[in-house]
Amino acid sequence: MAERGAGDRGGFGRGFGGRGRGGDRGGRGRGGRRGRRDNEEKDWVPVTKLGRLVRDGKIKSIEQIYLHSLPIKEYQIIDILIGPSLKDEVMKIMPVQKQTRAGQRTRFKAFVVVGDGNGHVGLGVKCSKEVATAIRGSIILAKLSIIPVRRGYWGNKIGKPHTVPCKVTGKCGSVTVRMVPAPRGAGIVAARVPKKVLQFAGIEDVFTSSRGSTKTLGNFVKATFDCLLKTYGFLTPDFWRETRFSKSPFQEYTDLLAKPTAKVVHVVEDAEAA
Amino acid sequence: MSKEMEFDANEEKLKTLRVSSLDEEEDDNEAQVDEIDDPDLSTDEDEEGEVHPVTLGFVEKLKNKWSLLRHYFPSKAGGTPAWLDPINLPSEKSSLCDFCSEPLQFLLQVYGPLTEESTFHHESTFHRALFVFMCPSMACLLRDQHEQWKRHPEKPCRSVKVFRCQLPQTNSFYSGKPPSEDGTEQPLTAGAKLCNWCGTWKGDKVCSSCRKARYCSGKHQAAHWRSGHRLACTRLQTSLEMSESAASNSLWPQYEITIEDECEFENEMSDSEYSNILVSGNRVDESVRSLMDDFAGDDDKRSWASFQERISRAPEQVLRYCRSAKAKALWPVHSGRPSRSDIPACNYCGGTRCFEFQVLPQLLYYFGVQNDVDSLDWATIVVYTCEASCKGDEGYKEEFAWVQLVSQSAP
Repeated sequence: MAERGAGDRGGFGRGFGGRGRGGDRGGRGRGGRRGRRDNEEKDWVPVTKLGRLVRDGKIKSIEQIYLHSLPIKEYQIIDILIGPSLKDEVMKIMPVQKQTRAGQRTRFKAFVVVGDGNGHVGLGVKCSKEVATAIRGSIILAKLSIIPVRRGYWGNKIGKPHTVPCKVTGKCGSVTVRMVPAPRGAGIVAARVPKKVLQFAGIEDVFTSSRGSTKTLGNFVKATFDCLLKTYGFLTPDFWRETRFSKSPFQEYTDLLAKPTAKVVHVVEDAEAA
Repeated sequence: MSKEMEFDANEEKLKTLRVSSLDEEEDDNEAQVDEIDDPDLSTDEDEEGEVHPVTLGFVEKLKNKWSLLRHYFPSKAGGTPAWLDPINLPSEKSSLCDFCSEPLQFLLQVYGPLTEESTFHHESTFHRALFVFMCPSMACLLRDQHEQWKRHPEKPCRSVKVFRCQLPQTNSFYSGKPPSEDGTEQPLTAGAKLCNWCGTWKGDKVCSSCRKARYCSGKHQAAHWRSGHRLACTRLQTSLEMSESAASNSLWPQYEITIEDECEFENEMSDSEYSNILVSGNRVDESVRSLMDDFAGDDDKRSWASFQERISRAPEQVLRYCRSAKAKALWPVHSGRPSRSDIPACNYCGGTRCFEFQVLPQLLYYFGVQNDVDSLDWATIVVYTCEASCKGDEGYKEEFAWVQLVSQSAP
């Protein structure tokens, strides 16, 4: 911590830009950071407002985020909300190559599916020079892309929902996957690849039918994922009742609130700076 | 006929050659071009990693009471500013938010002198500090967004203001020697009296009854009156005691900003995976690009992915400092970026302004900002300062700040 007395550097060697490469104040408390690579959740400093809300514990379930269609930009949010029950599985590691002047450059593309077996699935794809990096990165991307899956009944509404609520179909590339509700005990009648995804989603019984080049695993998996995405997009008679809008953590929808209030509420407008 | 068949056979061979490369997602033209296409994809990424070393700022709780006083030339966030030039403070007009006319609140200050390495170093930049103030109201920040896009407005209206102050080594406020590290150093002169409520701005106006409490504006006088001065006022007329710290409870918590170089963290991240840690900045391109492949198509998502990648090396950083003409900020969001011409020239010398530092949203977390509908939230605040760091006469000169907000729409 010796201050340079003679021939003073600008600012006595302190401050930004005023330091030498060695840094006299560099060792202050930051040295311990080097060895500490674990406990990443504890060290997470949220960058977005949603992240701050989750970190503070104001948001208890992921459904609150889905209700207002808020974009999830930090994977630690998912970790905190449904992290403990989340399982992941690597579907495939595919080497992809690019031709260069000096030969071929191989990278590895990893497909990872995460899910908690109770209505949430995510799919992540990442390409990287090393397999481990690709897998880690795709797990993060999978967590960011977690969607809710709607389950329903085939016939009698006894017990918990076990199958898709209606016939849905999803498409990616040339692959289309169609899911049809099945009675209890039918199990997941699907190919190996979508069966994994559906197991993670928590669907117990379903009949599937696929078309197209299902050999391309990437498209096949994305098509199933797209299919599951649509389960909540399908308007069934249960949704005929008029929606009661609730306040999002970010905005107030004044004219859409079901109950008309006597006092005047001002609208907070979000000005896009594009 | 046989010739045609041969021709067909050759074509087949060529086709099979293509297929066996297992290329699915890569573009066809990528296969022809060699590694030169890397900069094409990363044109909108910062190349600053390998050329311009970035210094990071982290917030830390105060270790000792004296290290944030102005004669120790601190860098701090929250609380009250440690004015470098304690006498010639910014005028009252510039201390107000131009939308709601409330005095601005102190965000952070950066002590960034120019050393011999910088081309614009001269004796008056021996001490140099930048102070960032902003109005804590989100409504004003939203209106400020419109204003910052205007070029050459007649009367600039901002709710985020940056002031720069610089002093030569020999000046009337501080001794020419480095301050002693044991808390005994004292400044040469006492500073101007500051407002009792915010502790930030000059306290020109006095309380009419006790004539001891000073305020920068009527609003702060009213706030202090309500929150306790009404009872203490009559007592003060007789006694001489006056508390030194600001009375306001809405100031942001005070922290010290410690400094680390970003390259130290780069080595840490790469040592377990990559054998060569010599390549510090270039490593980013590989994984950033593949991240970008998967966040494909959307510029916003791509910027966010590379932003996350960059800050994940040191997730607690709140400040990124890199003073260089070619340095570019790390933009979290693609939309809402200024172009060269959006950044105005220096008001005082007419020279260009260059990027100096940017404030990151982790600071909001450390400040404990409420996460209500109308509470403060930004993606980054980028500060551009006069490249020549012009001298001028005034104590504090205004610089340009650019605020980028997170777009609320779902991607």
